[in-house]
Amino acid sequence: MFRSIVIFSFAFAAFAQQHVPAARGQKEFVQSCGFCHGDDATGSRGPDLVRSPLVNRDVGGDLIGPVIRSGRPDQGMPALPLPDNTIQDIVAFLHLRVLQAAKSSHVGGDYPLERLLTGNADAGRAYFNGAGKCASCHSPTGDLAGVASKYAPLYLEERILAPRPPGHVPVTVTTPSGEQIAGKLDHLDEFSVSMHDASGWYHSWPRSQVKVTVQDPLQAHRDLLTKYTDADIHNLFAYLETLK
Amino acid sequence: MNRKLCIRAALCGALAANLTAALAQGLDPATLLKPPTDTWPTYNGDYTGRRYSPLKQIDSSNIKSLTLAWAFQAESQAIKSTPLEVNGILYFTVPEQVWAIDARTGRQVWHYRYKKSDGDHIGHRGVAMWGNWLYFETPDAHLVCLEAKDGHVRWNIELADVQLGYFATMAPLVVGNHVIAGVSGDATDIPGFLESVDPETGKQQWRWYTEPKAGEPGSETWPANSDAITHGGGMTWMTGTYDPDLHLLYWGTGNPNPVLAGDARPGDNLYTCSIVALNPDTGKLVWAFQPSPHDTHDWDAVETPVLFDADFAGKPRKLLAQASRNGFFFVLDRSNGEHLLTAPFIETNWTSGIDSRGRPVANKEKEPHADGRIVYPGSDGATNWMSPSFDPGLGLFYVVARRVYSIFYYTATGKPEGWAGRDHNIYEESTVRAIDYRTGQVRWNHELGPNESVAGILTTAGNLLFTGDSQGNLLVLDPATGKTLWHVNAGGSMLSSPMTYELDGRQYVVEGVQGVLYCWALPE
Repeated sequence: MFRSIVIFSFAFAAFAQQHVPAARGQKEFVQSCGFCHGDDATGSRGPDLVRSPLVNRDVGGDLIGPVIRSGRPDQGMPALPLPDNTIQDIVAFLHLRVLQAAKSSHVGGDYPLERLLTGNADAGRAYFNGAGKCASCHSPTGDLAGVASKYAPLYLEERILAPRPPGHVPVTVTTPSGEQIAGKLDHLDEFSVSMHDASGWYHSWPRSQVKVTVQDPLQAHRDLLTKYTDADIHNLFAYLETLK
Repeated sequence: MNRKLCIRAALCGALAANLTAALAQGLDPATLLKPPTDTWPTYNGDYTGRRYSPLKQIDSSNIKSLTLAWAFQAESQAIKSTPLEVNGILYFTVPEQVWAIDARTGRQVWHYRYKKSDGDHIGHRGVAMWGNWLYFETPDAHLVCLEAKDGHVRWNIELADVQLGYFATMAPLVVGNHVIAGVSGDATDIPGFLESVDPETGKQQWRWYTEPKAGEPGSETWPANSDAITHGGGMTWMTGTYDPDLHLLYWGTGNPNPVLAGDARPGDNLYTCSIVALNPDTGKLVWAFQPSPHDTHDWDAVETPVLFDADFAGKPRKLLAQASRNGFFFVLDRSNGEHLLTAPFIETNWTSGIDSRGRPVANKEKEPHADGRIVYPGSDGATNWMSPSFDPGLGLFYVVARRVYSIFYYTATGKPEGWAGRDHNIYEESTVRAIDYRTGQVRWNHELGPNESVAGILTTAGNLLFTGDSQGNLLVLDPATGKTLWHVNAGGSMLSSPMTYELDGRQYVVEGVQGVLYCWALPE
């Protein structure tokens, strides 16, 4: 976790550093280039520059600079006699746009609430208390009180569907002698089962020799995955989002 | 034997004579035309992609005594490649690295390391071989030709520019005097292609682009007056198959770009997410079938197009079957692309039916959206690059099938570029399934547990099916029933597809588990 925070800070610092000239470059781009290439550089009368091989191969303006300075008269692009630092700002903006396209798969904790908030909170409450049977385990004033303040909107939506597994899954193993041992499940596959008992000791058995009963509290959530409509999910999210 | 075949046989013969004079250790090209026994000369073992071995020393009666012959610690990232085995040497890879090891003992013969390179290092599937030479694709989308005897570089060519977002992971396919190499990369909007190069020089012989040129057939499946068709993706990142009698190459293509942004590219988006039949000498398209028209979920149709001859609806046919990433199983007549069967091999929620041409019809409501849409399978797919297998005796097609529930978000606000969104997995579990190719019905199902298994499948004439579960166990199942016959906890996940060969009268089965190759055999 620490390592990823450090990396993130460095990345953010690099991004911010790049962002100042890129912001200046954006203004200049909109003014001088946007008419043909679109204000966001994704093309209009002229080509999409985010997808441009030349822009993608450019290092520090070595390819973009000459095109801006000399234009492409054969393709109808005029030369733009801009100062070097202005060209560098435009270059920074174009590289930022390429980076943004490459990062368009980023969907994380900063995902905006308004994009997710397409449901109806009242319908969500009705689903919570009715068809979803959420109320049989959860309460808006109990375990879910303040849940909307606890999680970023995106994570709240996803945790409705798949809550993090709790610290343990309760399991009871019945041995050949009939003894029942209850504890926390460690591993279960086709061939073996292992668990920690109430006193903290580890046990394992071949599956063929014992009876295993798992009480997975998340099974109800998994059973819903094939039942939810998208509207159910968005309504439920809108409702839980009111639990600040 | 038709005229074309005679010429090819003559060419093969000439090549073989030429090579035998110069070497004792190289690959006789004729072995590529036979089922694999003492040799596993290409990614799938042979041209059919069946991954069915006629070997039967290890069989259902003696499988309980299967034991470790040797293990090789690559001390590398996970091995996702299938080794080749030629004249007692195994050749396998991870990104930037190739090993040659003794197939009898697991001792290293040589190790080749490419330079530290740009490009995605997500995985590597292996090498191809022609005569004395190996062909290895690199993360920066180069194709390197190595001497098989010592790993020395003969030449190195650029297939595509890594700066534009291309990379490469696949094992090329050798057909005659063609080394056929595909490329990867869908983070940026670049066109996919398949390239054939001369095995001796690396000189380009042909290049087939996934997207047709404006005005060509198929171009009408892209928006007019837009740059969509020239930036439409469709990577060729898995090894195809080949029918020497029909002289057709079969290849699966990847998803269109921008990946999740359907509105940016209205139409079917040919030939992305397609199975294409190409002439291996010219790269010209002969026919195509599209498992996922207008894909918006990253469901590459690159899964092995498996070839077999069998009766279908009472008529003998040359068949091609694919269990596709979108959750559907397809059977085609591979001589002309005629569609014969479409059937789901796992529960999905993204279609509103099957169209008259046998293609699933996507439900618009299940396209990625800003508020998130629950879709199964997720982008990781109902299956993926792990190898399927076909047992011709039983007529069953085997696939590792996954229940992947995922929520798809669309992120673009302006013109979408790149992925334009992503999906997040909610829950996954895996199974092995045996599909009756005549009906698409699942004959048996063997649950593999939670998580996504990416283990491939091998079947053998010993009535055995080799695979792994998603919990670290290697498994041998009865291919007729799915019952477990043998298992071992190998201490990690099998992220590769098993292969087998026989040397000195002993059958070996090799399975990659993370950074280790395990070799199994009966006790000596």
